[in-house]
Amino acid sequence: MSAEDAKTADPENPYTQHHVVEKGDTLSKIAKQYYGDPALYPKIFEANRDILKDPNQIKPGQKLRIP
Amino acid sequence: MKRLLFPAALCALALIAACSNLKEPATQAISAAEASLAPVKEAAAKYAPEALQSVESQIASLKDNLAKGDYKAVMASAPTVTSAISGLSDTVAAKTKEIEAALAQAKDQWTSLGGDLPRMIEAIQSRVDILSKSKQLPRNIDKAAFDSARTGLDTLKSGWTEASGAFSSGNVTDAVTKAKAIKDKAAEVMHTLGMTNG
Repeated sequence: MSAEDAKTADPENPYTQHHVVEKGDTLSKIAKQYYGDPALYPKIFEANRDILKDPNQIKPGQKLRIP
Repeated sequence: MKRLLFPAALCALALIAACSNLKEPATQAISAAEASLAPVKEAAAKYAPEALQSVESQIASLKDNLAKGDYKAVMASAPTVTSAISGLSDTVAAKTKEIEAALAQAKDQWTSLGGDLPRMIEAIQSRVDILSKSKQLPRNIDKAAFDSARTGLDTLKSGWTEASGAFSSGNVTDAVTKAKAIKDKAAEVMHTLGMTNG
């Protein structure tokens, strides 16, 4: 994780936006929704390393931080 | 003739003696008034300048009478001056209490704002950094909105530095006013960037 990602992934920050995973969601799809660019999905993955082990495996109901 | 002069001289002496008897208490009354005013004078100048001016002119009047040898007048007016000083002390005490309560409240507000604002700025900074790398902005943000959010972020950072400086300088109320305005601006920028939860 880069220093920048570590900084943006503050799990304690109450002002970080969240996304609750729905059926059919992928990190790319979520990145497209919030950033306009699916290629930026690693930003979401890095911010949620405490609950995600694999960027390709997200489950409905998971609450993800959107840095 | 001698018979007439003697009683007159006696009367004059009695009058002088009576007046001399009042000189000491009159002088002490003025000293007491000044001593009771001294501890509240500085605060009174801030919180009740008109009342202080009135008290000071009453003391000046006492001193004038003392200088003229009119000790009776000094003794007659001294209780009024003492009462005015007492009233002034009460006013200053109440105002000081009010100011201290407002200051304590402002400090509490600052503690809360000091916890929120850096986090809001950090969250906005993070989003702006990521969107700056995006090849295409999300559907709900156009370029003008994004540019305005970026400018807004700079304003937030400089504003927070300014508010923190005011707090460090002891201007707590000013710092809180500035910080509240920054928080409103931060909420506006977050809204522009679509950073709303729920």
